[in-house]
Amino acid sequence: MSYSKKDEDAEPAIFKVDRTSVFQEARVFNTSPIYPRKCRILLTKIVYLLHTGESFPTAEATELFFGITKLFQHRDASLRQMVYLAIKELAGTAEDVIMVTSSVMKDVAGAGGRGSGDQDIYRANAIRALCRIIDGTTVQAIERLLKTAIVDKTPSVSSAALVSSYHLLPTARDVVRRWANETQEAVLSGSKSSALFGFGSSVAAPQGSGMTQYHAIGLLYQMRAHDRMALAKMVQQFSGGQVKNPAALVMLVRLAAKIAEDDPGLRKPMYTLLEGWLRHKAEMVNFEAAKAICELKDVTDTEVAPAIHVLQIFLTSPRAVAKFTAIRILHKFASVRPSAVNVCNMDIETLISNSNRSIATFAITTLLKTGNEASVDRLMKQISGFMADITDEFKITIVEAIRTLCLKFPSKQAGMLSFLSGVLRDEGGYEFKKTVVESMFDLIKFVPESREEALAHLCEFIEDCEFTKLAVRVLHLLGSEGPKTAQPTKYIRYIYNRVVLENAIVRAAAVTALAKFGVSAKDGAKVDPEVKSSVVVLLTRCLDDPDDEVRDRAALNLRLIKNEEQEVAEKFIKNEQLYSLPVFEHQLIMYVTGDQSTFSTPFDVSSVPVVSREQAHAEERNMKLRSADTPTLKAPTTGAPRPAAATSAAEQASSVIATTQKYAQQLALVPELSAYGALLKSSSEIELTESETEYVVSVVKHIFKDHLVLQFNVKNTLSDTLLEDVSMISTPSDEEEVQLEEDFIIPVPKLAQDEVGTIWVSFKRTSEEGYPTGSITNVLKFTSKEIDPASGEPEESGYEDEYQVEDLEILPGDYLVPAFAGSWDNVWEQVGAAGEEATESYALGTDVKGIQEAVELLCKQLYLQPLDGSDVAVNSTTHNLKLFGKTISGGRVVAHIRMAYSSKNGVALKATVRAEEEGVAQMVVGGIA
Amino acid sequence: MSGILRRMYDWLVRLFWATEMDITIIGLQNAGKTSLLRVLAGGEFTIDSIPTVGFNMKRVQKGHVTLKCWDLGGQPRFRSMWERYCRGVNAIVFIVDSADPPSHPIAREELHSLLQKPILDGIPLLVLGNKSDLPDKIGVDELIDVMKLEDVTNREVSCYSISAKEETNLDAVLQWLIARAKR
Repeated sequence: MSYSKKDEDAEPAIFKVDRTSVFQEARVFNTSPIYPRKCRILLTKIVYLLHTGESFPTAEATELFFGITKLFQHRDASLRQMVYLAIKELAGTAEDVIMVTSSVMKDVAGAGGRGSGDQDIYRANAIRALCRIIDGTTVQAIERLLKTAIVDKTPSVSSAALVSSYHLLPTARDVVRRWANETQEAVLSGSKSSALFGFGSSVAAPQGSGMTQYHAIGLLYQMRAHDRMALAKMVQQFSGGQVKNPAALVMLVRLAAKIAEDDPGLRKPMYTLLEGWLRHKAEMVNFEAAKAICELKDVTDTEVAPAIHVLQIFLTSPRAVAKFTAIRILHKFASVRPSAVNVCNMDIETLISNSNRSIATFAITTLLKTGNEASVDRLMKQISGFMADITDEFKITIVEAIRTLCLKFPSKQAGMLSFLSGVLRDEGGYEFKKTVVESMFDLIKFVPESREEALAHLCEFIEDCEFTKLAVRVLHLLGSEGPKTAQPTKYIRYIYNRVVLENAIVRAAAVTALAKFGVSAKDGAKVDPEVKSSVVVLLTRCLDDPDDEVRDRAALNLRLIKNEEQEVAEKFIKNEQLYSLPVFEHQLIMYVTGDQSTFSTPFDVSSVPVVSREQAHAEERNMKLRSADTPTLKAPTTGAPRPAAATSAAEQASSVIATTQKYAQQLALVPELSAYGALLKSSSEIELTESETEYVVSVVKHIFKDHLVLQFNVKNTLSDTLLEDVSMISTPSDEEEVQLEEDFIIPVPKLAQDEVGTIWVSFKRTSEEGYPTGSITNVLKFTSKEIDPASGEPEESGYEDEYQVEDLEILPGDYLVPAFAGSWDNVWEQVGAAGEEATESYALGTDVKGIQEAVELLCKQLYLQPLDGSDVAVNSTTHNLKLFGKTISGGRVVAHIRMAYSSKNGVALKATVRAEEEGVAQMVVGGIA
Repeated sequence: MSGILRRMYDWLVRLFWATEMDITIIGLQNAGKTSLLRVLAGGEFTIDSIPTVGFNMKRVQKGHVTLKCWDLGGQPRFRSMWERYCRGVNAIVFIVDSADPPSHPIAREELHSLLQKPILDGIPLLVLGNKSDLPDKIGVDELIDVMKLEDVTNREVSCYSISAKEETNLDAVLQWLIARAKR
């Protein structure tokens, strides 16, 4: 194989190789006597052709193959080696390749006789060819042969046998698994095989390096992949020092990491092994172990410290490759746990001026992640210095890092924006420009102060943009954001320029964007008639466009703008409602992949819930923050990608909207509830019993405008009982305090074994203003009838029974919905001026370990959106959590929670809540448990 | 260095004295092809050889003649490939287990269908009744009858009764083969 590689690199013109001429020349195989040199060259050509992607048709391949078998009459060792290479390559296409089996087996077995040294040259090749020509039924015949080859003293032969076994696994798993002992032996003997057999260059490579160990461990893993205990035992056994080969050790490191990931019980011993490997003398092993530790699930600071320390030492290594590897691992880890990488900052600082751009890029992006607000400006200056010299991929990494920063430190937006606009002017590919443009979109959406300036930069960008896709997106954004600005006319000019100069797709997008200026100006206010009339003029000109789509859009929009009824126009042009995209996607998938009956009816788009733009933004921002954690330049991972622990709170909040939509469909099936109006919020499902009791009950709280509806899901797990008339008696524990009045109960008429029934209990909220909280006791009431085992019919008479389930808590969080605001400080001031404020102090006790856990707990409990990046605790002792949300009736709620942590007392916090509605602030403060 | 000398010597020998010839040995499974070849090449007779998967190639040196013997597997799956290895050889050797009469009709079928191929016209055929040491074997004349060798035209045909185990008649076989080399 190596031959063809060289030829490819050197000069393909050396032989003019084409398939037909090679096939013609193949007659040389059938001549007698045989000319080894000629044949070897021809074989090389065949292998070369196969390697460059040419393939022979089956008939030709078979012909060639049988020609090649004639060469077995010659004893020339290098010819034989070439013969095997060619057979191995042709085995896939030619027919009857089984013909050579006996001959190959003779070569594999045959040490001894004349010049066994000669044979060693091609024995490895023979084994590799053998595993290709053998089929499942004949594996047994070569079993003994391969077993001896695995423990052969020549490393190349042993390696070949191991790798071949690897290939045979899928066809003959049971046979290969019987070779475990030999494989084990190969691992252990690999360490002492340093004896050299100096023959041709062809076999010299793997010798003495113990590569057999690597192959043997790989094979053992394949054999035991399904048996975790055996794997763990194997890793522990080989970690003792018999394994010398670094590649084999790297394999062990990966296995250990995988085991630790799969089985929490084995995590500790595996971690000990990984830590030991950090001190191995081969760098490769150190890196792999450090990487594995960094990627462990929920790794603690103490666990990761030694790995970080090792990487830190490598940062000062004189070799560029070591520095690069170390910084890359640190960079990846910094996305997840910036605080842990902080200790290396000093060393990383020195790398930002490294002459190797790749290292410098990673160094800077790592610092951007670990550093504080103050150092950002300096780093940005540093980056712009060499932005022109690095590849697009690295540029994207940097831009993504900056985007995350923008969202984290909104106050730095000005500097970042000028940086982004600077790079936008640079040369770059589509992916790179897309990332930059998307970053600016995010800035506009989430950092309102930057809007005007960012829009101006984007306008300039589309003036000279070679990517249609991006131009369209920018135009859309201009259409939705432009009218809200102080001087909409400025943007109209830019947009109309596109209509004049661009291709049809961009023109169509520009027309739609223009129309938005005609309909909506600043929120609520009427459109400036002057703007409107100029838009009408411009659109009228578009009616002469050569493209259908552009004309259609212009005509439609003109009609809508001229229409007297503003509402229609608003609805069509300024579409503020969005379909909930995740739900939409899910339903479409269900529709396409579902059974025939679902597919025969047309898809009903009205079943997809609609969300407002504000909600979508809140969700999107969470996604953005999360996705930015994964760097673009991914290193190959050992296991499944880790879930980012830090963002689970945000995820929880954003999923609320999705659950509400899911239940809305279920509720629609109950006619009694339709009078209550739209569903405002649903909680997640809460278990009221243990999962293994006789009757399993869970509940979902649904909040309507004036009502609280409890959905009890009851499952009967008794095999010989039928439940009838199942209802739930829910009583607020304290009648005075909980202002709820029972409205109705819909019981379940019949519940057989393993059936799930739903009981609906509805309450009316009696008070006008407040949000009742408190606990509700629940008693399941039913008539139980035994089923006659003989007939399978239930008995005539049953008896009434009651079953007490756990109490249900109605929490303030049930009335709150997370919402997004560009600036928390603004909202804080606004709400403070209009509403009331309540403050309370709490100690969370020592159950809560650390600030981060407390943050997640609070976000989950209060159902509020963390803002200003405060959902990630930077400091481990104190933290300010800034939350924002709305009550179900739309009143704003802002919370400021100051926390302090000490290992002795746990987390202590002081919560200040401001709310627009009366009593809400007090309620929310009281809701922190 | 020694390689070059060796090659030169080989070349000289080949040029002046040595003759190489190709022989294909075929026959039903368990007829004794591989065993015969081993004995011809000077090896020990072994009773428990494994079935040949595909083919074996062995060189037999006799005086200045080198016989390149292609020993093909006799199982049904390989019979279709006999023809490929019979093309252009100096002689075809067909081996029959003379102590196994039930197999003879099949052997006859296979042999005649092979000989029908035009490409193999004129190639000398040697039919050997192996295992003559066993008690219930059949003789040469009977074998000629059973195999219908009179029907074979357009080529030289001979038939011997041999025993690879007792090494009877093997010299005659070699003599016959070597004689085919001087065509």
